[in-house]
Amino acid sequence: MKKTVIARQSGWELRDICVELGGTPVLRHIDLRLEPGSWTSLIGKTGAGKSTLVRLIKGLIPEFTGEYRLAGEPIARDRKRRVRVVPEIGFVFQYPEHQIFETTVEKELSFALRMRGDSSKEIAMAIRAILPVFGLREEILHQSPLLLSGGQKRRLAIASVLIANPGLLILDEPTAALDPVSRRELLRVLRAWQRGGLHGERRTVLFISHRIEDVAEYSDRVALLHEGHLLAHETADDLFLQRNDLLIQSGMPLPEAIELLRLTEHLSGRTLSPSSCREADVLEQVKEAWNARKENRRNGR
Amino acid sequence: MNASDRMLVGQFIERDSAVHRLDPRIKIIGLLLLMIVIMMMDSRSGYAAATVVVLIILLLSKIPLVFYFRGLLPLLPVLILTLLYHTTLGKGQTLLVSYGFLHITVEGILEGIRIVWRILLMILAASALTGTTRPLMLAQGLETLLKPLSKLRVPVEQFSLMIVIAIRFIPTILEEIQRIRLARRARGFEPSNRNPFSRLTEFIPILVPLLVSTARRADNLTFAIEARAYGDGRGRTIFRPLRLTKPDLAAGCLILLIIAILLVIDFNLSNTRI
Amino acid sequence: MLVFDQVGYYYRRGQEVVKEVSFTIQKGEFISIVGGNGSGKSTLAKLMNGLLLAKQGSVALGEQATSDPDQARDVRQTIGLVFQNPEDQFITTNVTDEIVFGLENIRVPPEQIGGRVQDALRATGLERYADAAPHELSGGQKQRAAVAAVIAMQPQFIVFDEATSMLDPEGRNELIKLMRDLHAQGITIIQITHHMDEVLASRRVLLLDQGKLAFDGPTDRFFREVPLEPYGLEQPFAVRIGQQLGWSGEATADWKGRAASQWSIE
Repeated sequence: MKKTVIARQSGWELRDICVELGGTPVLRHIDLRLEPGSWTSLIGKTGAGKSTLVRLIKGLIPEFTGEYRLAGEPIARDRKRRVRVVPEIGFVFQYPEHQIFETTVEKELSFALRMRGDSSKEIAMAIRAILPVFGLREEILHQSPLLLSGGQKRRLAIASVLIANPGLLILDEPTAALDPVSRRELLRVLRAWQRGGLHGERRTVLFISHRIEDVAEYSDRVALLHEGHLLAHETADDLFLQRNDLLIQSGMPLPEAIELLRLTEHLSGRTLSPSSCREADVLEQVKEAWNARKENRRNGR
Repeated sequence: MNASDRMLVGQFIERDSAVHRLDPRIKIIGLLLLMIVIMMMDSRSGYAAATVVVLIILLLSKIPLVFYFRGLLPLLPVLILTLLYHTTLGKGQTLLVSYGFLHITVEGILEGIRIVWRILLMILAASALTGTTRPLMLAQGLETLLKPLSKLRVPVEQFSLMIVIAIRFIPTILEEIQRIRLARRARGFEPSNRNPFSRLTEFIPILVPLLVSTARRADNLTFAIEARAYGDGRGRTIFRPLRLTKPDLAAGCLILLIIAILLVIDFNLSNTRI
Repeated sequence: MLVFDQVGYYYRRGQEVVKEVSFTIQKGEFISIVGGNGSGKSTLAKLMNGLLLAKQGSVALGEQATSDPDQARDVRQTIGLVFQNPEDQFITTNVTDEIVFGLENIRVPPEQIGGRVQDALRATGLERYADAAPHELSGGQKQRAAVAAVIAMQPQFIVFDEATSMLDPEGRNELIKLMRDLHAQGITIIQITHHMDEVLASRRVLLLDQGKLAFDGPTDRFFREVPLEPYGLEQPFAVRIGQQLGWSGEATADWKGRAASQWSIE
């Protein structure tokens, strides 16, 4: 069986992508190049074109101009000129547990590997490696996926994509409808995997999410869509610490920690400089300012 | 699948036509009679006349013919299979080609064409019904027509709700199928384009998640229906009751006339059997 | 008044999903029900309006026992239920028919149905979508249609069973605002949720732990006393920072206002 080569640090690139739906431009001249080895989040409020862009990437939109490139080559298109979903890109769709189609957990996990022709030894090794990452026990391998809990099904579905070790991963709202603790846990696992948890090399991730706090917490870079064009493509630190104006302009909320940061700056009259946009670092600076205030009060100022 | 595709499979398409305005009960009975006549067709002229009648109905509905024909596409494999079956395995005398147990006879070919033609006509006529009648109206029409059966404790009201729900969920389920296929492609599954039946065989693994999610849906729907006090469906008030008007009765008479004419054409000219 | 008295329920004998749960909900309250996965929250919601009948104990709505089959219609008219999945609770093929469905079920005279439909559409901001089909609506709009279908029946209680968990932020905000409006009109709101900011908007919290009632009290006491992580929950931002920054007084959803006043008094 033929083996497909998995692109690793492949450039995933959109060049001058334009989409018109019903005569109205929905995406205008999108130029987006994912930095290899980075976690880039794609954000934008409803109507900004985010869902259209995601559908284009999923191969659901036939008419678009511009180029979609993978590893320098234009990506394959089908008869109707829609983009082909290719196995070089790991794609986790929304509510992935609804697309589980095999009769045992083991078969579901190994599907992608069987499709590309891995030997049974390689498959067994890959399964053994991926199970602990997602907290799944070996006992369930021969069970029907239908017997798993909702959370386990979600983790199984995601593990079935990551097991093929794609160099590039697209995550479409992977934490949809999860409770807070499960959500945190899943994102922690995904971020660790992206940073090189399984085989020691950084992977490229495109994370589509509407939860701004998660974006601030886990991203290296952020791509902000507004009215069909890319308003910003900055590092997360830059966007959340320096360029709040872009978020406000595009109608996106600020993470609560950042809002508290701005409020504290306003109340104290000082500028604060957290070391990163992550909540712990931001709150550290905020706490300092509030403690300073307490001190001042105590000293009668 | 985009919006216009979704409208084809049994969907109501809003237009201002005489057919749209007809009482659903007239349309249902008319369709039933037409289907019976089509099933009984024997002569070439009969088939021709029936085809003309169906085409006229389609045109009167003011829904573009393209929509109707696009709706036939998913059924193409089944129709081809049926044709092949009768062509190669049917009985007949005038042998053309023989290969093993496959006999291709003239009669076989004609029988195959006849059956496929009948199916096509019936599907098109049924599409005319669903295309011109709002699902709720269709269900109401059926419920009213079947009302006498409720004396025999047949749950007529629930049957009509079933139809509304079935029609309502067609686009949803089609979308779901597409999502499942996409997920398989994303993990490296490549359907072979050469094999026209590959789409059919690909269906089997898709059925698993589809059935699971449909079962879940059915569960949720049951609770939703119950939560809105449906009960057993009897004794509900009706917001828009069906009322037969003069045009409806006139159309009804016209339909009976046409059915009669079709029967006559078929009977009288049955010696020119095709 | 909704009264649960030592209610128990199981889907399979020996596996109790709800155990000896007792509480009373008065008219006009705004309550959150929280708990981890498998805690029995959804089952509790369905026990409230008689979709499921208690296997032990009793559920009573005012004078009516919800187990009485003759009262089923009245019970379901009095307690409305909005479910989690916007797709799976949309029964008919357009918004108007959806609202009409429930009204026909509770035998509203046909001449009154039209008016009630219009009121419901207006209350949920869906006038423009009266003829829209479900596949033309967003998740948030479908949920609002479900709410419209419920409020047209003029209930006194509405239970929202994780109704925001499948919505994007815009849809969620729309629904939360709707819940607040309905509460202001005197409807008792019971929300089952894992969104902590939504919990903060309510006044009382019921915590379910493996089928048993582990907490029943005011919201701020809930956040002060209950360890949340074992239940899959986390503290809302407004509560967390209040603790970290040493703020005095009660935690509210309006943390910005609280911050401003705390800064001046400190």
